[in-house]
Amino acid sequence: MTVTQSTNRTDNLAAANPEAAPVDNTVAPPPGARRLASYGPLRSSLLRLAVRRLLTAIPVVWGVTFLGFAVMNLLPGDAAQALLGADATPQQVAQLSKQLHLDEPFFTRYWNWLTAALSGHLGSSLGSGQLVTTILSQRLPVTFELLLYAFIISLVIAIPVATLAARRPGGVFDSVTTFISMIGLSFAPYILALFLILFFAVDLSVFPALGWTPISGGFGENLRSLTLPALSLGFPIGCFYTRLLRADVIEQLEEDYATTAVAKGLPGWRVLLRHATPNSMFGLITVVALNVGTLLGGTVIVEQIFGLPGIGEELFQSIQTRDFPVLEGIVVVFAVVVVVIGLLADLLYAVLDPRIRYDNPGQ
Amino acid sequence: MTIPASNAAAIAVPAQRSRARGRLRQSLYIYLPAALLILIIFMCFIYPLIVSVPAPVGGSVLNADLPAGTPGHLLGTDDSGNDLFSRLLYGGRVSLEVGAATQVIGLVLGGLIGMVAGYSRGLLSAVLMRVLDIFIAFPSLVLALAIAEGLGPGELHVIWALSFYSVPAFARLARGATLRLRDQNYMLAASMSGTPRWRIILFHLAPNLLPQQLTFALLGAGVAIIQEGALSFLSLGVPPPGASWGNMIASGMNTLSVRPSLVLLPSLALLITVVALNLLGDGLRARWSAR
Repeated sequence: MTVTQSTNRTDNLAAANPEAAPVDNTVAPPPGARRLASYGPLRSSLLRLAVRRLLTAIPVVWGVTFLGFAVMNLLPGDAAQALLGADATPQQVAQLSKQLHLDEPFFTRYWNWLTAALSGHLGSSLGSGQLVTTILSQRLPVTFELLLYAFIISLVIAIPVATLAARRPGGVFDSVTTFISMIGLSFAPYILALFLILFFAVDLSVFPALGWTPISGGFGENLRSLTLPALSLGFPIGCFYTRLLRADVIEQLEEDYATTAVAKGLPGWRVLLRHATPNSMFGLITVVALNVGTLLGGTVIVEQIFGLPGIGEELFQSIQTRDFPVLEGIVVVFAVVVVVIGLLADLLYAVLDPRIRYDNPGQ
Repeated sequence: MTIPASNAAAIAVPAQRSRARGRLRQSLYIYLPAALLILIIFMCFIYPLIVSVPAPVGGSVLNADLPAGTPGHLLGTDDSGNDLFSRLLYGGRVSLEVGAATQVIGLVLGGLIGMVAGYSRGLLSAVLMRVLDIFIAFPSLVLALAIAEGLGPGELHVIWALSFYSVPAFARLARGATLRLRDQNYMLAASMSGTPRWRIILFHLAPNLLPQQLTFALLGAGVAIIQEGALSFLSLGVPPPGASWGNMIASGMNTLSVRPSLVLLPSLALLITVVALNLLGDGLRARWSAR
């Protein structure tokens, strides 16, 4: 490992400044190289990591668009039939198909879509004629707000509970929260949603059971209408994160540096809050990034139950009406979000832990 | 200062007593959920064969909405006059079958893909990994919705649709484990003594991956059971006269404020099953990783 580390460093230095001689850590470097050693490797290795990850992301996003197109193509029935209804004559269907370019071969249609998409045109809905970008810009904010809210709820649950539970593994607080989080993470969002509706909307009527208030209708009302949906998504994941984080914090507390800190007379809570918990965030970052896709899927059903005008509802409709431009638009957005969050997680990881920047460049 | 000191002791040196308690808890986390699962499987698959329960479908509207405890209808009837208890049992069959089938497909297919991707080097591995990446980045729900919509509602189609969740997940897991085991001495010994690749993968690699894959399958079965319900919610699951926990919850939602028990009973059944699966998976993982 030390070998790759040093070669990478010189690599980075060389890349940043071709004139700089290979630097050995034991020899005092010339002043210019020292400045590079403190800034250059960080910036360039992060940049290289970002570029490398972006390059692997491109074929993935392309593959996702192709898969989306293929899936839509395999569905029986087409948009023309769905638009005209069951009573339409074959001539009418054929005419509309021609009008919408649905009669062209699969690869021609895909190529046309792809070239248009690369220049930023995602087409327009076959049903309403609205631009896909317009539909997305109307729907996405609702879904993203819901996701962000749910994510904040999950972290507000996970971080304090996990830290407190790890303080005394096997203690009363740990046992109780372990039990609760095990049940909590087994909750399907839709079941939790129904329980929440039953309790908060029907019995107590503190939160609305249905509908969505835009931010223009007041931020408080807007949050109120999103609270139950966000809770039903956020609580199960929060429980999941709690379990992960608790195990990580306990592991960190067993590390030598934590023992050293305790031996030096640092109070236990300080070791926990300043050392163990921050160092336990790595596992959580990875899992959060991996979870984004699942979470996006979860919004579909939650939006359906609470009647939120988000992307999930549009997705469901576009599959039923075979509205492939809309579906492709949504699939692309989902894939880009998943890939970008994965990329951000990798970069965050590298920022937090310098060792990763220097370690194995090619996977 | 007393608190941090005792705290540090509890963290650094686990006492004998707490270790014994830990072991007890570990077996509790295995035997209790296992017993619960066996009970659930027994109730759903065998109990209706031994004890005569009313049919889950074809009830008369005249018997609709009977309260719990009515003679002949232990938990009452739903709004179409079907016996609720019997629908719970038969609905559980669907959920358990979907849970088991998707995991078996995922384990066999995904495990195989993952082992090949992890063991082979070069082009094959790279291509398999990219394809897996695409499936992982592709919103699985879109795929599941499209498949369920394209094939029409039905239990078998739900299984196909949900397998698109399980196969990539198992494949990724198997690849990771294979990369760790690939350079172990026994693997090198096998390949140097001329054992064919397929034999190494099936007889040397697979048995070592199995414990991890099995515990993952238990957790995955819980997820699949939840997803089946989600598809039912979007009316792409088992079509209505037939019973599944998912479509019972979905149809009970319309009368949520009037008769919450129509939603609560199947929800509880589903929740208990998933909790038992998660506990068992977790308990087994803890036991196997402790070795």
